[in-house]
Amino acid sequence: MALKDYLPQMERCGQCSYCKWIPFDHVKSWRFSYGCPSIANNNFNSYSARGRYSVAMSLLNGRSEYTDRVLDIVYKCLTCGSCDVSCKICRYNMEPLEMMRELRFKLVEDGQLLPEHMFYIEHLRKEDNMMLKPKADRGRWAEGLDVKHVRDKSAKVLFHAGCRFSFDEGLWQKSRTAVALLMKAGIDIGIMGADESCCGCRVFNMGYKGEFKKFAQSNMELWKTAGIETIVTSCSDCYHAFKRLYPEMGTKIEVVHTVEYVNRLLTEGKIKFNKNVPMRITYHDPCHLGRQGEAYVPWNGKEKKIKNQIVVYEPRKPRYNGANGVYEAPRNVLRSIPGLELVEMERIREYAWCCGAGGGVKEAYPEFSNWTATERIEEAKSTGAEAIVTACGWCERNFMDAISASGDKMKVFDVVELAQQAM
Amino acid sequence: MNAKRKELIEVVGEGNVLDNQEDLQAYSQDESFARPLKPWYVAKPHNAGEVETLVQWANRTNTPLVPISSGPPHFRGDTVPSVPGAVMVDLSGMDKILRIDTRNRMAVIEPGVTYAQLLPELAKEGLQIPIPMAPRSNKSVIGSLLEREPNTMPAYQWQTLEPLRCLEVVWGDGQKMTTGETGQFGSLEKDWEKGFAQVNPRGPAQADFYKFTSAAQGGMGLVTWASVRCQVMPQVHNLYFVPASEVEDLFDLAYELLKFRFGDELLLLNGWNLATILGSEAGNIKELAGGFPRWVLIVGIAGRDRLPGEKVAYLEKDIAEMAQERGLCLVPFVQGATGREVLEVILNPSTEPYWKMRYKGSSQDIFFLTTLDKTPEFVKAMNKVADSLGYPSSEIGVYIQPLHQGVNCHCEFSLSFDRSNTSEASRMKDLYAKASDELLKQGAFYSRPYGLWAQMAFNRDAQTTDVLKRIKGIFDPNNIMNPGKLCF
Amino acid sequence: MALSREVYQALEDIVGPDNISDDPALLDSYVYPLMATSLHCGPFYRVFTPRAGAVLLPASTEDVQAVVKVCNKHKIKYKASSTFWGAMGYPSHEDAVQLDMRRMNRIIEIDRKNMFAVIEPYVIGATLQAEAMKVGLNCHMIGAGAGCSPLVAATCYVGFGPDSFYMGVGAENLLGFEWVMPNGDTVKAGSLGSGAGWFCGEGPGPGIIGLIKGTIGARGGMGVFTKIALKLHPWPGPTTLSASGTPPAYRAPLLDNVRAFTVCFPSWQAFADSCYKLWNAGMGYIAHRQYNKLGRDLKIPMIKILSDPDKTLSDLEEMLEDPENKKIAEESKYDFELVLAGMTKRDIEWQLKALDEILAETGGWKSEFMSRPEIEQWSLLYMVRLGHKGLNLVYGGGYDGSFAQNGPPDFTASYIPGAIEFKKSWEKKGAIVAAGGDSGMGGIGGMGGGGSVGIESFVHFDPHDKFSTEGTFEYYEAVVKYERENGLPPGLQRLNGLSRGSDGREFSKEVRKEILSAHPQSAVFRYQTKIREIFNPNDLGDAYYVTI
Repeated sequence: MALKDYLPQMERCGQCSYCKWIPFDHVKSWRFSYGCPSIANNNFNSYSARGRYSVAMSLLNGRSEYTDRVLDIVYKCLTCGSCDVSCKICRYNMEPLEMMRELRFKLVEDGQLLPEHMFYIEHLRKEDNMMLKPKADRGRWAEGLDVKHVRDKSAKVLFHAGCRFSFDEGLWQKSRTAVALLMKAGIDIGIMGADESCCGCRVFNMGYKGEFKKFAQSNMELWKTAGIETIVTSCSDCYHAFKRLYPEMGTKIEVVHTVEYVNRLLTEGKIKFNKNVPMRITYHDPCHLGRQGEAYVPWNGKEKKIKNQIVVYEPRKPRYNGANGVYEAPRNVLRSIPGLELVEMERIREYAWCCGAGGGVKEAYPEFSNWTATERIEEAKSTGAEAIVTACGWCERNFMDAISASGDKMKVFDVVELAQQAM
Repeated sequence: MNAKRKELIEVVGEGNVLDNQEDLQAYSQDESFARPLKPWYVAKPHNAGEVETLVQWANRTNTPLVPISSGPPHFRGDTVPSVPGAVMVDLSGMDKILRIDTRNRMAVIEPGVTYAQLLPELAKEGLQIPIPMAPRSNKSVIGSLLEREPNTMPAYQWQTLEPLRCLEVVWGDGQKMTTGETGQFGSLEKDWEKGFAQVNPRGPAQADFYKFTSAAQGGMGLVTWASVRCQVMPQVHNLYFVPASEVEDLFDLAYELLKFRFGDELLLLNGWNLATILGSEAGNIKELAGGFPRWVLIVGIAGRDRLPGEKVAYLEKDIAEMAQERGLCLVPFVQGATGREVLEVILNPSTEPYWKMRYKGSSQDIFFLTTLDKTPEFVKAMNKVADSLGYPSSEIGVYIQPLHQGVNCHCEFSLSFDRSNTSEASRMKDLYAKASDELLKQGAFYSRPYGLWAQMAFNRDAQTTDVLKRIKGIFDPNNIMNPGKLCF
Repeated sequence: MALSREVYQALEDIVGPDNISDDPALLDSYVYPLMATSLHCGPFYRVFTPRAGAVLLPASTEDVQAVVKVCNKHKIKYKASSTFWGAMGYPSHEDAVQLDMRRMNRIIEIDRKNMFAVIEPYVIGATLQAEAMKVGLNCHMIGAGAGCSPLVAATCYVGFGPDSFYMGVGAENLLGFEWVMPNGDTVKAGSLGSGAGWFCGEGPGPGIIGLIKGTIGARGGMGVFTKIALKLHPWPGPTTLSASGTPPAYRAPLLDNVRAFTVCFPSWQAFADSCYKLWNAGMGYIAHRQYNKLGRDLKIPMIKILSDPDKTLSDLEEMLEDPENKKIAEESKYDFELVLAGMTKRDIEWQLKALDEILAETGGWKSEFMSRPEIEQWSLLYMVRLGHKGLNLVYGGGYDGSFAQNGPPDFTASYIPGAIEFKKSWEKKGAIVAAGGDSGMGGIGGMGGGGSVGIESFVHFDPHDKFSTEGTFEYYEAVVKYERENGLPPGLQRLNGLSRGSDGREFSKEVRKEILSAHPQSAVFRYQTKIREIFNPNDLGDAYYVTI
């Protein structure tokens, strides 16, 4: 679809503002009621989904042109999907997140780029990663880890580290732990090391559909060649890419997040938690594992009307509203750890507050990114938790940076680290 | 003067214009310390048309009009002319009950209808209205409601002006208008034909016009009829006391009852005030007061319309438990008074003489709005001023009436005195002024600013004063409606 | 003509450069598409409200006052809005100044004992209720839902809600308030002005509260309200609603002392009789005909869709054929939702018994379908939080209301069958959703203590579809004619009809004068004109404050 194909939605947006908040049913306090970090930080209406529908309509109708402000509005969206969940509490024929992405694609197509993003894009084109590091260093995280490289030995299950876990030394231990745990559980797992490429999710969300497609096609080809049947990843961005975006382009590979795999092993009795980990923690649902962690469902249909003016789809259109995201698996793992006390924040599951790292925001608007993460840390602190636990390297890094900047003492863990501690 | 008399007669008829000295004297003063001033005439209209003509005439001739609906004694000074040359507009002759709509629980009445007149008629239809505590029998219902006199049933006060709803008003500029949902079909009768009952007081359009007449002391216009929201008369109705030695001890329970809207009548009295409303004369009052608890929370428990006995039964149990949890007791009588007796007294107009007159012949009230939790400070302040001026604080009647479902309360001090004793009256005037000032400093809100409270209240709030004057300028551009009151 | 640089700079100096913008695209997110939900003046296909000259975000009363004074100095129109739910919040003139009250979002105080909250304009019902529930209290939730501003409901528009017969309407909950008047002066009303606290909106004397709101408020046309104290009410439930479940089918746990029913009756007269009986008994917490807004024929399958995360609108057609759904719909023709809240165990027991008596007397019954535990859980959460009002837009994005004459239940029972048939006949033309004629939603109460019922006949349409939008407009014109011919007072469909015209701008002054001068109580509008002249001498509002 192109942006102009969203004109019906732009006109059908009733301007109700639900996109700015978490679903009202879940509001437990004044403090933690916002859902959309973009408008929460920037305040003008245009920084919400309804606002972006209006801006898009204004551009399409020729009522306005690209300005710095327009770029600011469009690129200061984390593409976290909170608006999408809230809108779909009441609406069955609106796709705010899709429209938002389409708006980005249009801006990129029209050459309305952010220099900060271009910097990353150019590096990505050369070095296959979003971390501004040389491709040759991609496999260093696994040095010393006795894990096979699928180039040399076949494996049914591929552990895809992702750019963040591959190059961020502060997070290496988390991916090492994940691989070690899975190997210990007897999983036939391999990695691609320096041959691994970016999943393309981040550039997709920045608006670079073409770049994304290139990486997607390349990755799918590589997996096919290597005979991979299952991808496991600890990075939620990659998870979302493989689970939702790649299948649209044809792949049928099984995609599992590390936490899902650990939960599966736990449920099957293949791993056991028998060590005490006495800590009070809270769990942060990564956007791309939670509300955007739903699997792709193929659909090729069209809009039709029933009862004169009710807009529906033929055939029945799949609904991505966060209903089937991955929420229970990480919680089950955490609840199973002896001594660990899990306390929930107010905004969780499909209505979780974003960590602030997505949508190209961390790259282009570090202050806004940091603010978003800090808000989440405040929410975590309000539960009395000592640590915030999550299942995404981007979330982890953003939280660690925010905590460091503020001098806070909250700890940040990956689910898999605590699982390892309990074994 | 004679020309005016003639013109007045043309409006209201020969027998309805009074100018003999005795009559004028009766209107020239009241029980307050308002400076006595005789009106020039008393006009007694009998319908809205006459009222309309009268006001238009007053504008043409620049004649001040002072409205009055209730019979004497008056206490607030609002019905005493403040400027010479005034004509009293005595609406007591407009005393028709225009309609009682049982199904919609609405009564439409004229300004001369008194509580003594209305309550029995409502009772015939199985209805009642919340009333002030033992009002004068000749008290105009509309007069009371317009002046926001507190009633004893806070649970039914979704807003301060309840149970007042729609009005027909002749504004000070001579324009007749109806407020609220009235007049959609052109007249009251046509509204009734269509099934409307003057229930919704809002508007019309974008001003709440009836609020301009509220506590305006007749300064905006003359009301020629009003609709009043009624309640179903209870089939079972008991009254209880919760005694305490300190008023603060009652607050937790009172707040809970207000929050739950348990109880119909809900008010706090000190022992002296309870004695005054029950007693017949000075000796009797003193004797009763000696035996009463220092403070009582009075709770009326009513069952109406359906399952009344069961309703009363469960409320009695629940409230008794709530009291007990707080170390208090819900009792059907105190030494010297039963619940039934008190219910009879507060649910009906006062017998003669009016209860506030019984101890010493006259009474000066000081009242204001505050919140329940702040009332002890005001009681202390009042007592302190009284004691310092030689007035026995033990003889001050205190009445605390929660309003608006508990959001605020009317706090009233009744000071009995012998008006015929010049020096006593003089001391009372002094006490009244000093206490009013002290209470203001403590945060009393004179929302109904009679007499010297007007200057106090409006001096405190210059912006509201300015706005109010402009509103007055709209509805009474020639300032003929009771000039000299409020900030006008 | 855009704002001059001088004016822009003056405004920027007040709010800071980050909080003001005149970027055209940004300004277009403050332009309302009147083909969507014009709220009682349109809809007008592909017509937008005029673009503001600048939008700014004040943070305080002082900011607002300074902005209003600049506007007065330079004679520039301005309009403030909080949640921008309806077209009223947007200017009616080109290049006006749009105030977005978003940064004034504090709950300043909740006085638990005296039961009131002090709030700023951008506090929404959901957050106020959530905070109030922590201390055993609740707030009146206006019919437009938890995403809207209680301050605006109390001061600026209508203010009815499903809980009104227990909690009153917006204006009944208004205590002290702070108002930046149209000329830039700030006044504090009631007890607040006297420095005594927030607890009373009336006085001294008449006070000024009568100025600001009657049946409706000034809809942004007369200054800006910056703080109010709002009365709160008891909440005998848990300190948080504990919603759970899979979206959108959230539910709350069933409570022993707060029960959500849908009560059904055999006729409109029985429906009316039940209203009187409930009010006379003094029972009930929330009473509203809510789900029927989805349409008599559609509401049962829609409730099933909304309460089942695996269903979508595409399932509706098939579900309409289900005999069970048809049967339930037939039984639910004269129904409304009723929430009982007992302050104590004995209280709820009495209310439940009284309800059974009332149902027996009127031939009514509790809907078995709505009493199924999973549905009651869904309905309880819906009715208490009122967080699904976006469902007004569920079918295609366009909704507006018609009829809704507020009056005694007997009056409603007398006119509503005709109104339903009239709408049903229009549904056949195809422009509006064929909902079964009756898509009436409204309050069983109308004000504290009850007394009136107002059933708003919802019309659902597609704003993207010219035929649908224009057909809806024609329907509303036909309703106006129907009302006149049948001796009904004017209904909701043109409540703002004299404020905004078909070009999205201020309605013609000349035509307004002609219509209002012929009004049975034209004096009302002459007084409002005087009020406007005195308090808004530079006439910087718009025709949402109606003058001749």
